[in-house]
Amino acid sequence: MAHPRPAHTHPHHADHEHGKPLIRFDHASFRYPQGPALEDITLEIADGEFVGVIGPNGSGKTTMLRAILGLMPPTTGSLQIFDCACQNLRCHHRARIGYLPQKRTVDPNFPITVHEAVLMGRSGAIGLWKRPGKADLAIVRHALEDVGMEDYDDHPLGALSGGQQQRVFIARALAQHPQILLLDEPTTGIDTTTQHNVLDLIQRLHEELHLTIVLVSHDINLIAPLAERLALLKTRLYALGSAKQVLTKEILARVYGPQILTTDTGHVIVADHHHN
Amino acid sequence: MVDFLTLGFLQRSLMAAVLTGGVCAAIGVFVVLRGLAFIGAGTAHAAFAGVALAYLLGGPPMPFAIAFGLGTAWITGLLEERGRMKLDVSIGISYTATMALAILFIGLMKTYNAEVYGYLFGSILSVTADELKLTAGLAAVVIGLLALFAKEFFFLAFDQEMAEASGVPARRFFFLLLTLVALTIVVSLKTVGAILVFALLLIPAATAYQLTSSLHRMMAYSVAIGVLVSVAGVLLSFQFDLPTGPAIVLLATGVFFVAVALSPKRAPKPALS
Ligand SMILES: Nc1ncnc2c1ncn2[C@@H]1O[C@H](COP(=O)(O)OP(=O)(O)O)[C@@H](O)[C@H]1O
Ligand SMILES: [Mg+2]
Repeated sequence: MAHPRPAHTHPHHADHEHGKPLIRFDHASFRYPQGPALEDITLEIADGEFVGVIGPNGSGKTTMLRAILGLMPPTTGSLQIFDCACQNLRCHHRARIGYLPQKRTVDPNFPITVHEAVLMGRSGAIGLWKRPGKADLAIVRHALEDVGMEDYDDHPLGALSGGQQQRVFIARALAQHPQILLLDEPTTGIDTTTQHNVLDLIQRLHEELHLTIVLVSHDINLIAPLAERLALLKTRLYALGSAKQVLTKEILARVYGPQILTTDTGHVIVADHHHN
Repeated sequence: MVDFLTLGFLQRSLMAAVLTGGVCAAIGVFVVLRGLAFIGAGTAHAAFAGVALAYLLGGPPMPFAIAFGLGTAWITGLLEERGRMKLDVSIGISYTATMALAILFIGLMKTYNAEVYGYLFGSILSVTADELKLTAGLAAVVIGLLALFAKEFFFLAFDQEMAEASGVPARRFFFLLLTLVALTIVVSLKTVGAILVFALLLIPAATAYQLTSSLHRMMAYSVAIGVLVSVAGVLLSFQFDLPTGPAIVLLATGVFFVAVALSPKRAPKPALS
């Protein structure tokens, strides 16, 4: 006998219906030759979720994204993406993950146009042996429109401002038609107005295209209002949950030390703030 | 100067110049963009050492050159990948070690062999029909693979980790690129020689780099420049009885400096926000 499902089975997901887990860290640790970067991470990210990853400099945020891309196998534990161990991630899996890397300084003299840079995002989807077709060019145009850069098609990438380059790289990630979008500090190095435009764009993509988004930032105040869940990292996963659950004085003090301040309006101020 | 095009050897030389100039300039785009210049130099010396060993043992020079060139390119590539040591140090070592090997092999030969030196300085005016066929064959392989995987190689040149993350098997393409660099160098040994091939890899691509802000146009310009200076170099050297390799290289260098002077990239950059 089939019973009608009660409306809110899971209190945590009361306001959002998310699909099955796409990313599953299970007691996973990652290390560089110089030392551990992430330890004993257990975290599931569901299809259509928006997770913000926060933590001080060097806490392993970038490493977490590199791991999801399959660029770093876990030393212990496991990491599954699309139900596939990240060590065995195939090219067609990777093609479904859009990535905005942290280090995006472009050699201003590198000969590449905006169009060429965005078209590169199609490489995985087009596959080996084939050349980009009409459909790919249309997708590139569309991605550039999404980020408001359609008038810069034939411009040299190196001649654009930091914020414009940022939008081009987001367009490249979008041109992949990804299911998962990984964004590493998408707002650093750009002016406040552009920052808000970029964040609005990300929010819109999440809502309209139901993209699964993992956004990394050291700026807690910027992502707290956007993300459905926050993951607070410092090599280990210190806290996971809604902004209310994670951004408490006790938890923040444990990660950031006594320099942390929370204002009445919920703003977080880290006194020792030498990030870049 | 009217009917020299009917001369068989000159036709062959011009064909060889078109092929070598074109292939070097095409692969040179990736050498310049990916910063592999010194891998090219080390590989050229290694290929020459292979030729010297072939003459010492009485074997065929080309397979030896290919084996030595490929071996060195791959080893240097592995070192770069591991990043254990500063790249200029590891390349400096392979660069001098392979040259030392070449000198050792030449020293071990009982007799002076002028042919070996042909591979060091090139002798495009004495290219035989068989050598031309080999050059054409290798050139077809290199150009064919470059054209087939153009989008992968461009992505790799722009950002290897990003290419990997987007679903391009970047590591395999990096080694394929090293392989093509080695083959290109071997193709060019007989025509421009182990010392000057380096210039033909770098200069047309570096010149094109000055002239455009598009990857595809850089490729087109580079190949055009490579072919033109090679052909012009052969004609000049024939007309004025000059050694061909230096004629090509100095011509290319001249074109490079003109391009630097005219480069649109010397315009002031807008401030980055
Ligand atoms: N390529 C690398 N090689 C060696 N160690 C690294 C590398 N990248 C990061 N690390 C180290 O791993 C730790 C986590 O770095 P990262 O993930 O970049 O942190 P975050 O992005 O939070 O600033 C740091 O201690 C950093 O020094
Ligand atoms: Mg980081």
